Amino acid sequence: MAYLELHGLEVSFDGFKAVNGLDLAVERGELRCLLGANGAGKSTTLDLICGRTQPTGGRILLDGQDITSAPEYRRARHGVGRKFQVPSVFRELTVRENLEVAHSRHPGPARTIRLFPGIRLDRRIAEVLEIVELADELDTRAAFLSHGQTQWLEIAMLLVQDSALILMDEPTAGMTIQETGKTSRIFQRLRGRHTLIVVEHDMGFVREIAETITVLHQGKRLSEGSIRQVEEDPKVREAYLGSGGISHA
Amino acid sequence: MSKSTLSRSKPYAQLAAYLLFCAVILAVPSFVTDAFLLNKFARYLALGLAAAALALSWGYAGILNLGQGVSFGIGAYAIAMHLKLKTSPVHTGSAGLPDFMVWNNLDHLPWFWQPFHSSLFAVAAGILAPVVVALLLGSFMFRARIAGVYVAIITLAMLAVVNLLFIDQQAYTGGFNGITDLAWLEAGSVTFDPYSPAFYYLSAGALSLCLLLGLAFTRSKAGLILQAIRNDADRVRFFGYDVAAYQSLAFAVSAGMAGLAGMLYAMVLEFASPTFMGVPLSLSMVIWAAVGGRGSLLGAAIGAILVNFMQGSLSESFLDTWQLILGGMFILVVVFLPNGLSSLIGILADRLTRPARQTPDTALAALSEAPRAGRTPS
Repeated sequence: MAYLELHGLEVSFDGFKAVNGLDLAVERGELRCLLGANGAGKSTTLDLICGRTQPTGGRILLDGQDITSAPEYRRARHGVGRKFQVPSVFRELTVRENLEVAHSRHPGPARTIRLFPGIRLDRRIAEVLEIVELADELDTRAAFLSHGQTQWLEIAMLLVQDSALILMDEPTAGMTIQETGKTSRIFQRLRGRHTLIVVEHDMGFVREIAETITVLHQGKRLSEGSIRQVEEDPKVREAYLGSGGISHA
Repeated sequence: MSKSTLSRSKPYAQLAAYLLFCAVILAVPSFVTDAFLLNKFARYLALGLAAAALALSWGYAGILNLGQGVSFGIGAYAIAMHLKLKTSPVHTGSAGLPDFMVWNNLDHLPWFWQPFHSSLFAVAAGILAPVVVALLLGSFMFRARIAGVYVAIITLAMLAVVNLLFIDQQAYTGGFNGITDLAWLEAGSVTFDPYSPAFYYLSAGALSLCLLLGLAFTRSKAGLILQAIRNDADRVRFFGYDVAAYQSLAFAVSAGMAGLAGMLYAMVLEFASPTFMGVPLSLSMVIWAAVGGRGSLLGAAIGAILVNFMQGSLSESFLDTWQLILGGMFILVVVFLPNGLSSLIGILADRLTRPARQTPDTALAALSEAPRAGRTPS
């Protein structure tokens, strides 16, 4: 049994089936890329896995447990972490406070009411700050960070949260080539320790990090395999005919 | 907003401000001996506590509670029930029925009045009953993910319902008149005459304790998570926090503090009235907190004390126009200091400590002002 399994997953918004009978299995420690045109259901699939959207059919199994109808915070405690397409950080809080919130090993109020975040950094937070190079911005409010820094902060928050399964929605959107390169190095580090599902349009980035790629089309799985297999798949070619194949998706 | 940078980067400055305030209010009886004034100040402190409680739910957790009067009123009635029972034998003989019950043809004390013979029970009920009500209402609202203006509407409706209920159940609550002719609270050998320094110390002590505990709460990780929830509740869920539980917690802690404030208020006025649960008082509390600064418990408490103090002195000197003056002040504060008077400290501290970090707008303004005002731009 795979670490994450989607069985016949389905969701409809006012009759429109954004995800329509999707089957997917991701092994522990795998780095899976989701590809597809706009509206293929990539982000919606991530929403369904993390609980932002409730499915109208099908099942989600995480590590053998059925989490189909579990609320978001329970899924997060089971080890699902999510990075959103639009960087989503707490703008009124400082970088330090954002990371402190993300550090959620003991999420119950009975515990957190007795914890007093001090000036000294947790070792894990210090380590992550080093990686994302935000150490100088510790006491800056997130609202004042640049777009790139905000992206990094959210990635840092996910690293601090230390989820077993990390869902990334376009992690390199708006990044420079150097920043993208750094992101791909971080992903290489995460590989194996975490299970990652990445939605990405930047094919260069996908080529660098991907092992297995799943191509979605109209809410269904169209093709799956290595990047070469997917590119040569006639179904994929047919679906993307006219847009020059998947590389231009 | 400047408050949040101040409070996080300078934790000791914040603690010092709270301790200074507590020291000042506790020192008042050393300088003020007039019993009438002491009573008035004790009343302001009780209202300050109610505003601080509101700041906890509104400022920190983003829960705008327009029905703070529910908790405040329940607290007031709980202690009034006890103090009424203490006077009853004097008024209506050893049967011990409160006067309004006799007028309403009750022949025995209702069962839920019985335990209020105990002062300890009454005090506990004055705090815990609002907490329980808040937990019930809170878990209903927050599990259903009701937020923002809808919370304000529901709490306001709740206030109206509770107010009507207390007025309607005249035989048990004294109806429109409320519970009047109260005895003084006794604890051991101390009698808390509302015009005595002892009572003032009770109010000041309660406010100090609540402010310091509240400060600890807001500075704990739970307090940080509440601020994150106020910012983006959905995002917090994806870190594994049960948002509804945290919101209910803040709502309940705030209710307990408001209940305590209500108890002090009933004791200081020596009656409990349905007007304590009226819409005007609850809305006033929102204004006090807004004037003082909802982002700070201390700021809100000072706001309440200041507004009530001004209300008192203005209404004495300007019989007809004091409401106009007060209204003008509210507008000035809201327009020029949207985060209340307490944000002044943050703004001043920012100016003094790092003049270089000006926003372009203020830097430009300072430049264009400089020649006229004859000072160098800082």
